[in-house]
Amino acid sequence: MATGPLRFRTPHIEELPTAQSRQSAGFAWVAVSTAQDDPAKNWGTTNRKRARASLGGQTEQQKEALSARAQRETERRIKELNNDNSRDVVIEVAKKPGQSAGGGGGGGGGGGGAFKAGKTAGTKKILASGKTFAHFLDDEEAEIARTGRREGEVEAPGAAQRASKTPLARRKAREGSSASDSPAPSAVVAMGPPPVPRAASTYFAAEPMPVDDLDDDEEDSEDQLPCLPTSAEMEALLNAPPLTYNQARAAPPPASMPPPRRFCETCGYWGRARCMKCGAMTCSVVCKDEHDQSKCLKMYA
Amino acid sequence: MARQKSLTTPTLSPNDLAPRTLILDNGAHTLKAGFSSPLTDPAPATPSACHIIPNCIARSTRDRRTYIGPELTTCADYGDLAYRRPVEKGYIVNWEGEKAIWERSFFSKDAHIDGAGLGCDPAETNLILTEAPNAPASLQRNADEMVFEEFGFGAYYRTLGSSLNAYAPSPFPSTTTTVPAGVPLECLLVIDAGYSHTTITPLHHGRPLQTAIRRLEIGGKTLTNRLKELISRTFDVHREDHIVEEIKEDVCYVSRTFPQDLEKTWKGGRYDGRELDTGVVVDYVLPDYEHIKRGFYRPHDAHVNLRNRALGIGTETGRREHVVTLGNERFTVPELVFTPSDIGMQQAGLCHTVLQSVNALPEGLRQAYLANILVVGGTSLLPGFVERLEAELRSAVDEDTVIRVARAEDPVGNVWSGGARLAADEAAVRGVMVTRQEWAENGEGWVRRRFAGKKGR
Repeated sequence: MATGPLRFRTPHIEELPTAQSRQSAGFAWVAVSTAQDDPAKNWGTTNRKRARASLGGQTEQQKEALSARAQRETERRIKELNNDNSRDVVIEVAKKPGQSAGGGGGGGGGGGGAFKAGKTAGTKKILASGKTFAHFLDDEEAEIARTGRREGEVEAPGAAQRASKTPLARRKAREGSSASDSPAPSAVVAMGPPPVPRAASTYFAAEPMPVDDLDDDEEDSEDQLPCLPTSAEMEALLNAPPLTYNQARAAPPPASMPPPRRFCETCGYWGRARCMKCGAMTCSVVCKDEHDQSKCLKMYA
Repeated sequence: MARQKSLTTPTLSPNDLAPRTLILDNGAHTLKAGFSSPLTDPAPATPSACHIIPNCIARSTRDRRTYIGPELTTCADYGDLAYRRPVEKGYIVNWEGEKAIWERSFFSKDAHIDGAGLGCDPAETNLILTEAPNAPASLQRNADEMVFEEFGFGAYYRTLGSSLNAYAPSPFPSTTTTVPAGVPLECLLVIDAGYSHTTITPLHHGRPLQTAIRRLEIGGKTLTNRLKELISRTFDVHREDHIVEEIKEDVCYVSRTFPQDLEKTWKGGRYDGRELDTGVVVDYVLPDYEHIKRGFYRPHDAHVNLRNRALGIGTETGRREHVVTLGNERFTVPELVFTPSDIGMQQAGLCHTVLQSVNALPEGLRQAYLANILVVGGTSLLPGFVERLEAELRSAVDEDTVIRVARAEDPVGNVWSGGARLAADEAAVRGVMVTRQEWAENGEGWVRRRFAGKKGR
């Protein structure tokens, strides 16, 4: 027979006091994947105050996502600036009777019709093709990616590597005479006793260049001029294959440069304050008013 | 022996070069063309033989006419002129348009009777054609094919535009020995500030050092488009290419002290208004091609009523003047060449691009090239360009490196005059030309390698 409050025989259960069991309110805090923790879903807020104040700030991925959009915007603007033909201009060339048909007589050969279209099959194709420069560039990059070398060149050392759009200066660990991206030629040692203008004119004195003695002193060159390349090296340099279009692009400035300068959208002075809604910079209250009235992107939002 | 070319005159034997050479500097903005010949001219061709032809096809909605190439100078009304340029980013992409321009300039009846005297028969002319560095291979192939097959030139040499600068007279004042025609300068770093982009090419005896060629994607076109955007904040000029180019050429300059100049052109905030410095801020009067044929500028006058001016009240002769005020646009636009990050472009400025190019060379050559910097190209005509470049280079480089920067006397025509001097020397030009016979025998791959400077097979 049970004598205590429990009527059935149960094992002795004693509740130990823990934080959770004390005056429990009937609910519990549960760790759920929030927006902050799931970077794949969250691109970060554009509101700067919230980004600052939120716990832990924004993650790297969020910052990256935001800046990717800004980057796309800048690239679009730059492409527009570098636009060759103002707006989409379509100007017909050869359809006018008077002007270019007159050119048919002077060129020597061919009837009027054949002349306009091109004399041989190859030239007909070239004249009729509507490719733009971007097409040619993409074709070349595809060719390089496919075969690992440019048209008409001898085998490049190494296997077919993906054509890299990184300018030459930014690549790491390239062998050969690659560019370093430090602006100052820090390797140029102090020009010792021989004055430089004289040296500049005698660099390539004669074809068998007197460089053998200088070549040996590469290491301890505090007082010596930097060694000249031998004529074989010069030939190799001159015969080097040309870079591709993307490789020859200038690289971004070194990181030691100051950050990009911003200007006021309205008047062009230094930009001092950013519009909270659209992110454009203005210099003063006057310009900000102007911006709000006509240029702010969030005018209707 | 049987000849491959069938359409052209039989008087030329296959390995002979024609008496005249047409030197054609095919730029994105203009063509610089002229003749030179070794036989009749013991002295190299004078720069006045170089003709500048706009390299575009322009359509004017006001005249309902299309102007091809040299006809543009006959246009009476440059307003609202739509351009189409066959050269994109420095390379001839659209051969249809380029062929029309070439024909109109050189081969057609109109060209023969033109005052410029550029009419010629391609079969009896050699051609020196320039191109921009780092061209995609298929564009080079297209060019070769068009020149030989379509136009039928007798012999042809395609080269980098910058290389021809080595044959032009040296602009450095300290050079005491004059170099004879046909002999290139020994070492030269050419900065070509052109329309599509700015390229930096080190040359050794006229041959380019390919691994060190760098390109900055800001050119005259970028500056003009940027100026269009800035002016359009007050007065919409998005469709006026020609007029904005004229404004840029008239009024823009490169400032040595950018922050101070920017201060001078600021109107001030709400509570501290400032006077604009009328030395810098100008009023530009736009042309209307009825009374005002060409725009001009005058110092800024803050008290003029612009609306009255536009209606013709208060101006001299009662003409209607549309006035645009240009303050900091004058120098912030050319500043882009030196600081492309101002519009967000991820490239270093001109000075650092030069240093990147020089650092790509072996150590021993760097000083030599820094001491021989030549600036050519239309954009370098902006006042203050060379001084600013020299100052920036000077501050970026060690104390004891010598830096000499010089602008060619005629930046636009310097490549052409280099080509003219090359063509004036018979031996030199014979060494580089490829005749049509050779092209037919050896094929285009051989020809391309030959033009790239590889002497052997």
